[in-house]
Amino acid sequence: MRKAKTWLPGFLLVLPSMILVGLFVYWLIAKNVFTSLQRSTNFVTDKVVNPGGYHNYTQLLGSGDYQHALMNLLVLTVVFMVGTMVMGLLWAVLLEKGVGAEGVFRSVYLFPMAVSFIAAGVVWRWLLSPAQGDGAIGLNQLFIKLHLDGLQSSWWSSPSRFSMAAMAIPAIWQLSGYVMALFLAGFRGISEDQREAARIDGASEWKIYRHVLFPQLSPIALSALIILGHMSMKMFDLIYVIAGPNSYKAAVPTTMMWTQLFAQSNPQAAAVNATILLIIVAVVVVPYLVTTSRSERSR
Amino acid sequence: MATVKFDEASRIYPGNDKPSVDRLNIDIADGEFLVLVGPSGCGKSTSLRMLAGLEEVNDGKIWIGDRDVTNLSPKDRDVAMVFQNYALYPHMTVADNMGFALKIAGVEKSEIRKRVEEAAKILDLEPYLERKPKALSGGQRQRVAMGRAIVRSPQVFLMDEPLSNLDAKLRVQTRTQIASLQRRLGVTTVYVTHDQIEAMTMGDRVAVLKDGILQQCDTPRHMYDRPNNVFVAGFIGSPAMNLLEVKVVDGGVRLGNGTYPVGRDHLKEASGDSVTMGVRPEDLTLTSAGQGIPVVVDVVEELGADAYIYGTASDAKQHQDVDESGADLPERPFIARVDGRRPPQKGETVYLAPKEGHVHMFDSESGKRLGD
Amino acid sequence: MSSSVLTEEAIPASTVQHGAPGTRGSAGTRAVRYALLVAFVLLVLLPLYVLLVTSFKPSADISADTAWSLPHRLSVEGWGHAWQTLSPPLLRSLILAVSVAVISSVLGAMNGFVFARWTFPGAQVVFTLFLFGMFIPYQAVMIPLQAMFLQMQDTAPFVDGIVKLIIAHCIYGIPICSLIFRNYYATAVPREILEAAKVDGAGMLRVLRSVVLPISAPAFVVAMIWQFTSAWNDFLFALFLTTRNNGPVTYALNELAGGQNPDYSSIMAGVLIASLPTLLVYILLGRYFIGGLMSGSVK
Repeated sequence: MRKAKTWLPGFLLVLPSMILVGLFVYWLIAKNVFTSLQRSTNFVTDKVVNPGGYHNYTQLLGSGDYQHALMNLLVLTVVFMVGTMVMGLLWAVLLEKGVGAEGVFRSVYLFPMAVSFIAAGVVWRWLLSPAQGDGAIGLNQLFIKLHLDGLQSSWWSSPSRFSMAAMAIPAIWQLSGYVMALFLAGFRGISEDQREAARIDGASEWKIYRHVLFPQLSPIALSALIILGHMSMKMFDLIYVIAGPNSYKAAVPTTMMWTQLFAQSNPQAAAVNATILLIIVAVVVVPYLVTTSRSERSR
Repeated sequence: MATVKFDEASRIYPGNDKPSVDRLNIDIADGEFLVLVGPSGCGKSTSLRMLAGLEEVNDGKIWIGDRDVTNLSPKDRDVAMVFQNYALYPHMTVADNMGFALKIAGVEKSEIRKRVEEAAKILDLEPYLERKPKALSGGQRQRVAMGRAIVRSPQVFLMDEPLSNLDAKLRVQTRTQIASLQRRLGVTTVYVTHDQIEAMTMGDRVAVLKDGILQQCDTPRHMYDRPNNVFVAGFIGSPAMNLLEVKVVDGGVRLGNGTYPVGRDHLKEASGDSVTMGVRPEDLTLTSAGQGIPVVVDVVEELGADAYIYGTASDAKQHQDVDESGADLPERPFIARVDGRRPPQKGETVYLAPKEGHVHMFDSESGKRLGD
Repeated sequence: MSSSVLTEEAIPASTVQHGAPGTRGSAGTRAVRYALLVAFVLLVLLPLYVLLVTSFKPSADISADTAWSLPHRLSVEGWGHAWQTLSPPLLRSLILAVSVAVISSVLGAMNGFVFARWTFPGAQVVFTLFLFGMFIPYQAVMIPLQAMFLQMQDTAPFVDGIVKLIIAHCIYGIPICSLIFRNYYATAVPREILEAAKVDGAGMLRVLRSVVLPISAPAFVVAMIWQFTSAWNDFLFALFLTTRNNGPVTYALNELAGGQNPDYSSIMAGVLIASLPTLLVYILLGRYFIGGLMSGSVK
């Protein structure tokens, strides 16, 4: 153990932040969990709303509404992650060797990142309007104008179980540029010598990507997946704006939590919902953080 | 100005079993220029950083003058340090870099200015005082780093390989400048390098470290003439000393076909029936056939006045290098200095004999010097 | 991601040697690449087209059939209305985003310096705990957070509206800001400089003030932009913690867009107005914006 005199000032400098993070993150999480375990009754009818303890969790997990929201979340997450990664990687590959006006392309692809989900959501609500035919607006109207009437869709409100896939479109629009930036920086971080060596070794351009470049991007891909994954699970603003706060069709745990808390005045169930969400995110993020922190220490 | 004393000072990095610096004892006199030298990882930089207060001392003590500084932070030790990459503050001008320590110490502005200008004069930095480090050449940066130390007139100068980022020519030049500057200022200096020529040319005394253990601390001359052990013998001197494993026989050691006479008292402490014999290249002379060590010449390096021959001792068993633990090292050629005007030809077999009184005997197992 | 992205150009230029034969592909593949890049540009800019076109149409001219056509007559009526509705919350958002940017980056600089260069025993664990705070779904703290602010208001009534948001964003921004600064200091501030300062007699605060902060500008720009953007774009905290009378612009935009008879020209103008500050930041300081995005990926 090093002498306290040398490290104490550093500790004191971080202490305020430690207290704040401890209080506002960990203490509040604990309080939320506590709330989630409370028993509650309807104050008019006296009927038990939440039986208390872990029963609150089994009750929510067993409910059809919640399973529907989880299913929606799964569809949203898969489509969003695959779409964003593919689009981002594609853009990065198109740009990585350097093309004229690269800066312009990059800036355009990245600009949606600077826009709030709310602002984007307002436009996309219009673009993804379900009305078809005569009164159609948004993309459906565009399809009519382009004589592609067959492409019209009710988007996220279509009857399909997988309609949430449509909700991923605006999210892909917003975040593909981010993935592109990550991959592009990754490509540029690989020394040009390696390509030249591979070329001398007789590799085709495709083989160079396949065997030399892509494998070295896998840590970046992992980071991107983790970040997109946790963003998807936390996604709230877009859905709130596009589908409305209390939509059943487009419900995901985050919007459902809003409904539970305000429309249903059921903070216990909302707390249960939020806790489960936290656990899901933690399962993805904690191993990543721990390995990152370990590898950094060993460096 | 002050003396410096390492008293059984040890540093063990967390997670290591072996100390990086193991019970180091060195007494440095007031005004002395001491060079710490050794291969990389030997603990020389760690020792310097312990003295600076940048590295914790896990055991033992360090004294500057009559103050025990073991637990003092760097700022309370009154030492100045020159770093390998100079560590100049990029956002400050040369003058501000040099005056920073004084500013912290609360010295008056005019006084700072005066002392900075004095130091700048000594180091030929006057035209550059208002420049940022970015706008300086490597040699100028090095001088600013020196200036930063001089300005403070500290008790001790610490220098951590300050020349290693300079090109060869500048390095030789600066080496002389630093040594003469130190003598002029008379400030006790501890200087770390991995370059034994730097160590030998600059130091009043040289301390050789290996694996965290002090091997020998001596004047350059004495170190060269009487290395304490096989490691120091092989490390100090260029080209390196020839080390051979030789059998102890009656009246001396077996060398080639003959016997090289060695006093009995030299060999009586030897732990086995063979010893390691060391001869510097310049202490070998060509003799007539049949005497001394037969060597087949592989390369002749002509330096004008002298020539070095690199060859293979024909009795292969006899020229194995041995480190102090007795383990075999990769083969090294046998080296001898010969007259540059009449060097032997490549491929020739020559016979080499050590000059009388210029051999070093080491115990084959411990590597320690035998006898005087 | 290495944090060198903070010090140098966020995405370095391509190093591919275009002189070498076959590196850039034939004229044919180049044409295909450009065609793809331009097509994607059009796709990404589609919502922007809708925004601009609609915002300049007089409300009377808006119909489903002409939704995608350019305005017949230019009108700034929508812009006027949007500006009138949004200007008070815009001012609140500006106060929010600027204070959050300043406060969080100062906290981040202190923490990042300690985590990178003046660590204390257990600092790595604390840092990992901080990072987790960056990933949590804020729903998991929202219910007790609301309660906590209500309690605070009893004793400190000024803790309301924007002040609540400032507190929340500053605290929940501690992790990302600490990360940005830590990564910056770990690469851009060599250990030797700090050691030199220590030997020169400086204590921790002196090192921080005289040596570290003067060379921290790049990290400050990145952290401030990041925090400005996220505070400006946030909707979740605004929705839970503020009202229409004291909320930020995202709240107001959602209100504006949520009416029964949507006035599309002012809604679309409102989206543009509400997005303008972050878009300006992005256009003017794009490379630092990317730097912030990158550092979000932990490594």
